[in-house]
Amino acid sequence: MKDILTLARAHVLTAFRERETLFWFLIFPLFLLTILSLIFGRMSDGQDVHFSIALINDPSAASAAPFSPSAIIAEAFAALAAPTDSGHQPLFAIETPQAGQDRDGFLEEKLVELRRGQLAAVLVLPPDFDQRVMDTLDAGRGAPSAEAHLYMSATSVASETAASIIEQVLAEVDRSLLGRVGRFDESRAIAHVTGWVGERESEVDYVDFVLPGILLMAFFASGLFGVPGTILFNRDRKVLRRYWVTPLSVGRYLMGFGAGHLILCALQFTLIVALGKFAFGASISLFGPTTLLILILAVVTFLAFGFLIASLAKSANAGMATANILNMPMMFLSGMFFPITGLPSFMRVVVLANPVTYLLESLRQSVGVQSGTLMPWPWTFVVPVLWIGICTFAGVRRLRWDVQR
Amino acid sequence: MNAFSILLLTEIRIFLRDRMMLFFTLLFPLVFVLLFGLLMGGMGDVDQASLGLMVATIADADALARSLEDTGLRETRSFDSLEALEESIADQRVDFGMIWDGAALRFLYNPARLQENYAFEQVAAGITAKFNMQRQGTAPAIGVVRIHAGEIESVGWFNLVLPGILAFSILSSGLFAVSGHLTQMKERNILDRLIVTPMAPVALLAAIGAVRLAAGFISTLITLGVGILVFRLDFTIDWFRYVLFVICSTLGAMGLGTLIALLVRRPSSAGNIANASAMIMMFMAGIYFPVEFMPAFLRVVSSLMPLTHMANAMRYVTGVLDMSDARFWVTSASFLGLALLLFPLTARYVVRPLRR
Repeated sequence: MKDILTLARAHVLTAFRERETLFWFLIFPLFLLTILSLIFGRMSDGQDVHFSIALINDPSAASAAPFSPSAIIAEAFAALAAPTDSGHQPLFAIETPQAGQDRDGFLEEKLVELRRGQLAAVLVLPPDFDQRVMDTLDAGRGAPSAEAHLYMSATSVASETAASIIEQVLAEVDRSLLGRVGRFDESRAIAHVTGWVGERESEVDYVDFVLPGILLMAFFASGLFGVPGTILFNRDRKVLRRYWVTPLSVGRYLMGFGAGHLILCALQFTLIVALGKFAFGASISLFGPTTLLILILAVVTFLAFGFLIASLAKSANAGMATANILNMPMMFLSGMFFPITGLPSFMRVVVLANPVTYLLESLRQSVGVQSGTLMPWPWTFVVPVLWIGICTFAGVRRLRWDVQR
Repeated sequence: MNAFSILLLTEIRIFLRDRMMLFFTLLFPLVFVLLFGLLMGGMGDVDQASLGLMVATIADADALARSLEDTGLRETRSFDSLEALEESIADQRVDFGMIWDGAALRFLYNPARLQENYAFEQVAAGITAKFNMQRQGTAPAIGVVRIHAGEIESVGWFNLVLPGILAFSILSSGLFAVSGHLTQMKERNILDRLIVTPMAPVALLAAIGAVRLAAGFISTLITLGVGILVFRLDFTIDWFRYVLFVICSTLGAMGLGTLIALLVRRPSSAGNIANASAMIMMFMAGIYFPVEFMPAFLRVVSSLMPLTHMANAMRYVTGVLDMSDARFWVTSASFLGLALLLFPLTARYVVRPLRR
């Protein structure tokens, strides 16, 4: 037993002494959790989301109308650009042409800024906009609606989002205008209700959604890079050869190595969960028996994958290259960071063969952030277990424990 | 033949013989493009989405049917019970649901699909707005015409991502090219033999740089070609600026790579530092995630990253993002300047035998 514990201790100490290991196994997952929570957590909360837009209208053209639709629109946007009581930035910062400034020149200038990403959208109400709206309101149903021109950049997510919000604001103004002329009765409007399947009353917080994925990513990197890295470098540098002249057997070496790997994964788990909970307010519990069982299954699956790579590679560098090639497709084709629902059928085969998909789905389900899975529940255990079997079999048969003479 | 020509020929041979290096330089960026193209190509689009519909009343059936026309969704499937609808949403057999009970339009979403729900909610808001208008026999007085301000008609988020991937592969291969190769030469004691010849250290760096520059350039062309052919992406490429910028940015990245070569002894360490720096920059530079949504302090950090400027310039030369001429030339000149400064400055320190 003492030899196993000594090997486990040596494995942990070696990992701590290698700055690269520390970076990929500990710092990178923590960095990724921080950056993703800071970006997407804010997006889903709507906190401090702020867009710079330009509004071009010509209120002078509305002089003949009983009310000015373009002025009402300008007021609606001005309200959204006013300072907020909460201390957050207002939704919009609005630029408009100065009095006497050439309208076309201003539009050209703002379109250049839009293309350069300095503005999120430019809303243009044509010079005859007010008159056209009044004509439509007078003519009733069937008359063509007055068009507002919304310039945006289809390559910018910020511009897309700003454009959608602007469209919602215009739809609200539209309803109020129709109400003014008696063509829409707000009191008869059907309510729009949003609900969620399962027991949740709101959408999952981003940090709760991403935390299980980051945990698995950290375990995955430890298994995929750490296991072949340690074994192959130790083999190539003839460190393993020194072990084999002692009474230590391969089986006991593996037990010590596995125990050390588990300790490292436990450390990853503690740090990632602590950051998620205390820095970003994660509310999920990762200490339930099913959750812990899935996490242990994940550690063992990735450990087995590491052995498979170590058994296939001829050298440490080849092992790292193989791990690099497998890393990206396995991580991204599991739904860890991007949705996998729209993938073509040939890619879905990869998704369904990927053990990370099942481990991630069952982990998210066990902590209550996912209510259904792509495959029925026994598969969430069967597929990773099958991979453990395949990898262990290949590892036992092929892995060389000493350099070839 | 002078020293540089001999070294250049040798480096070409070494590069062509190294299958792993060939794979990672020429083909690995393709893995990124194919993977992210398939994952992100339709992200935010609702034309592949399906709506599950449960109607509990015959009231306003015509208005409801007209409201569901032209939603842009792939299909609308009817359900007889709420349980069946909820189960289908949970298992992602339908993307979101709608229930009409005569009093309200209730939309159901899967709480775990937070990256997609925003697009579904937009469709739902449109359906409710249209339904309300139809029920009261009226039509909108204001219509909104969206006009894409860019120069290319058929663009999407992936148009912006692909030049970012090109910039990322230029940076990561550039960072590793010099540092990885030099540390490998040191480890195999090849450098010891070379430095006792009259070879100038800069000639060796220039030979390594020239081969990797050519390989990197070919790699960007392959990646771009696959993006255009496989994903039907449209780019308006300014070839003169494209060639110029790829050369300047690759040289700049290699210049930064010589700094790594100063710090490390082993090729694996060089690879790890190059990978780690490139990865951190990738997440901060808006390659996959929009910089606009970052907190203000992260936007400042992002603006300090070389990859941010590299990605924006690549987007500019491929016609998906506008940039002032002055900014483009300053960016290109900065990368070239970095190379011209760092190569001669670090050459005598990095081209020396392994410390023992």
